[in-house]
Amino acid sequence: MTVRRVVAGLLALMRKRRLDRELESEVLAHLELAERDAIERGASPEEARRAARRSFGGIEQMKEEHRDQRSFRWMETLLRDLRFRLASLARDPGFAAVTIGLLALGIGANTAMFSIVDAVLLKPLPFPEPERMVRVWETPPNSLPNATTTLTFLDWKRQDDIFEALSVERPIRAAMATGGDPARLSGKLVSADYFKVFGVKPRIGRTFAPEEDQPGAARVVVLSYSFWQTRYGGDPDVLKWDLALDGEPHRIIGVLPAGSFDRDEAGFWKPLIFAPDQLNRIQHVLHVVGRLRAGVSLEQARAKMNMLRASLAGVIEGKDWGFAVEPFAQRLVGDTLRRSIYLAFGGVLVVLLIACANVANLVLAKGATRRKEMALRAALGASRGRLIGQLLTESLVLCLLGGAAGVAVAYLLLDAAAPLMAASLPFTADLSLDLRVLGFAAAAVMAVLILAGLLPSLQTSFSKLSDSLNQAARGSSGSSAAVRRTIVIGEVAASVVLICGAALLFKSLANLQQVDAGVRIDHVITMSADLPSTAYPSPESAARFYEAVVQRLRAVPGVEQAGISHRLPLQGEGWGEGMSLPGVTRGFGVGLKPVDPWYFSTLQIPLVSGRGIEDRDRAGAPPVVVINQELARHLSSEFGIANPVGRTVGIDVPGYGPIPESVVNVQIVGVIRSERTGGLHRPQRRAAYMPLAQAPQQDIKLVVHTQSEPLAVVSGIREAVRQVDPNLPLGDVRTMEQVKQQSMLWAKQPTWVVGAFAGVAALLAALGLYGVLAHAVAQQRREIGIRMALGAQPGDVVAQVLRNAMTLVMAGLVLGLLGAFALTRVIKNLLFNVSPLDPLAFTVACVSIALVGLLAGFVPAKRAAGVDPVTTLRDEG
Amino acid sequence: MSKRQTEVPYGTLDLLVLKTLETMGTMHGYAIARRIEQVCGDALQLSQGSVYPALMRLQQEGWICADWGISETNRKVKFYSLTKAGRKQLLVEVANWEKATALVARFLEESA
Repeated sequence: MTVRRVVAGLLALMRKRRLDRELESEVLAHLELAERDAIERGASPEEARRAARRSFGGIEQMKEEHRDQRSFRWMETLLRDLRFRLASLARDPGFAAVTIGLLALGIGANTAMFSIVDAVLLKPLPFPEPERMVRVWETPPNSLPNATTTLTFLDWKRQDDIFEALSVERPIRAAMATGGDPARLSGKLVSADYFKVFGVKPRIGRTFAPEEDQPGAARVVVLSYSFWQTRYGGDPDVLKWDLALDGEPHRIIGVLPAGSFDRDEAGFWKPLIFAPDQLNRIQHVLHVVGRLRAGVSLEQARAKMNMLRASLAGVIEGKDWGFAVEPFAQRLVGDTLRRSIYLAFGGVLVVLLIACANVANLVLAKGATRRKEMALRAALGASRGRLIGQLLTESLVLCLLGGAAGVAVAYLLLDAAAPLMAASLPFTADLSLDLRVLGFAAAAVMAVLILAGLLPSLQTSFSKLSDSLNQAARGSSGSSAAVRRTIVIGEVAASVVLICGAALLFKSLANLQQVDAGVRIDHVITMSADLPSTAYPSPESAARFYEAVVQRLRAVPGVEQAGISHRLPLQGEGWGEGMSLPGVTRGFGVGLKPVDPWYFSTLQIPLVSGRGIEDRDRAGAPPVVVINQELARHLSSEFGIANPVGRTVGIDVPGYGPIPESVVNVQIVGVIRSERTGGLHRPQRRAAYMPLAQAPQQDIKLVVHTQSEPLAVVSGIREAVRQVDPNLPLGDVRTMEQVKQQSMLWAKQPTWVVGAFAGVAALLAALGLYGVLAHAVAQQRREIGIRMALGAQPGDVVAQVLRNAMTLVMAGLVLGLLGAFALTRVIKNLLFNVSPLDPLAFTVACVSIALVGLLAGFVPAKRAAGVDPVTTLRDEG
Repeated sequence: MSKRQTEVPYGTLDLLVLKTLETMGTMHGYAIARRIEQVCGDALQLSQGSVYPALMRLQQEGWICADWGISETNRKVKFYSLTKAGRKQLLVEVANWEKATALVARFLEESA
């Protein structure tokens, strides 16, 4: 068949009715002409009509052949089945709603989940040639890669035979005057090459010119698309404006296109200019991103960098540190996130399977009631293929409608979930229903069609004709019932696996909640502030600010105590530094957290020995340090120091602004009970606390203990800070409880997601079970009626139905437990202090599925008990 | 596709229709059927109706085109005529037919 005829055939399909009408009129004209000719030849009108018909041949046969010729028979059949199916669905809206709803739920949740999997794990990064993008680090031995220094970065940058572009990136916060309270903006300090690394062209204006990260360059800034939209209303003349950051005007030179950079926290980018006094190899603060030259492989780049490292051996500070080049994508997705996403995807696939099983069950149940119709069709000569085809068409209609509704569900789910997950996903992850995702949805529909459509249609149409006709009037539906029971057992088993997983995760979350953070959680409010270098150029000016603010804060009504720290509990120490004992060459790493004299008392961190940090530990005074028990234990076990108080140790103290880090000999004056500086699930870390006045920081946290509801005091706190510095914005207003909850987000999100899936799975399994039991009761009305007529009590009947339910549930439970034993170890890394085979969690799963089974059996059991023997027997008699 | 045997040798009806339209110009379906009957005489058992599926097929291939007109009995009917592509196709079909008959004739002679 030529292409031309295929097209014509498709057209003919759409114009079927018109073509039939045209043919009809041609036939009539033909017969008329033939009659006229016959009459002219002398025949009577009656004879003429007969002769015309005879020489024309079979009219209906001709029409059939005409249809065959002009179009594709199977397509016409398909369309007829589709129309038939739609009509019959409209007649049974309950069945249609339930099946389409189930499929929409299953396919929708899967499509949404796949969109996340695709965006986070599968799709290449949304930048040109992402495989050329790298991060470059300095690597201390046996440790995580480290940031680099200004001079070393400049050495790397000179390797322009490896790197097409190389840039630092460093997050900053800046205050922006807005008329009322100053706003706190997040931005990034970057090199002029930064956007070349990402291959991003500005939407309007330009990005940085090469000389704009050199000393003396004018102050310029590039905005993100969303910042431009929210702050400037998308004004196309934005390039005429200056943006005042920390009181200094910056010329806006460009706006980025919408996309990945809008999901980044930063709203603006400005060049990081190395002042001459910042050029050193001591301050490891620069994170480096780069783009390899075309044709340079990662291995070649690494080899070159190793050679460079060797040539710099004389000047590099960390003698045993190396240089490392790694793919940019490597660090975007953490291990926990990857596992959580796979886990959620696995969970949602199980839900889809159960939904499919339910649909298959419904189709089977419907098929059972249609056995007579099928048998009749077969008796009238419909081929087996034709019957299967018809049943498949019906499933196809259901699947297509379910799939379309599923895509809508996926859209809604993503819309609702995206803002909740944004913080947990990398900024490159674009959650959208693109072609790939829609393709996945189509594949899901196909899979569902095969699972939920093909099997039941084979089952229905292959059963023997005579059996169907014989049985039709009577009760049980034989093999179909067995298949349906098997499907329900499978559903129960699958939901048992999910419930076990959810129970384990919830138990783990409960364990995590119970971990003592070592600090006061209730009635504490926290805020962040960043002291700009313009207003606070020296450590002394910063120290004056800390003191003034704390004094004001304590005067605010409702405030019990207030302190300042570089970092909050559970959010890390801020600095990882080396500590050394006099006379011992081997140093060790500690977390260094500068705090003010009131931090410990505000958060109720008790002193174990010695003293805490006090008001007298000021800039000029002898430097001191307070250590936590964990560090004291380390000193005792590694160096035999039983009482560390009074000892002098050397520690790297970070600088302030351009003032570089330096090694200072400090005296240990006290030991405090360990607070959780890292996450609740991590082991305690060694931490040292220096007076904030002796190690001043620009980015600080205010910690305020209140007498009553902490959020009520926020405006008072803001006012107190405004009195000290009206231009300083406060950000991240959170209670300590919120800080704690946020630190557990990694565990909460997968737990709730799997929990929700387990709930849905249990519900679907209950529905399936209910369907089978209700159907069985309906089919056995007669049997039940006879038994009751013979003296069975309603209680006996109820017990029988429930026994039936429990048989199915128990079979599913055993299978499910076997599955759970095999599968729960995949979530081992997401569990905290819970064995993947925790007996309590498994018991909870067993009990809850048994309850679900009883509930599902209850309604059909009641219905069975309500059977009236007289009516039933009369009906069937 | 159809299980029924056409009375006309398979594939020849198209050729007959095309040739008729070439010789006679524009015609309606009844006239085409009559003309074929007359030319072939008793040699052919043609159901007149079977020209319509053939006309549809040829139309879909683009070899003939149809226009609405009025029949001798004042009824709307389709008048068919040969297209340019149809003329070319007719040459091809005739050539094919001659080749095939020549082949069969030679085969029968040799085998006799």
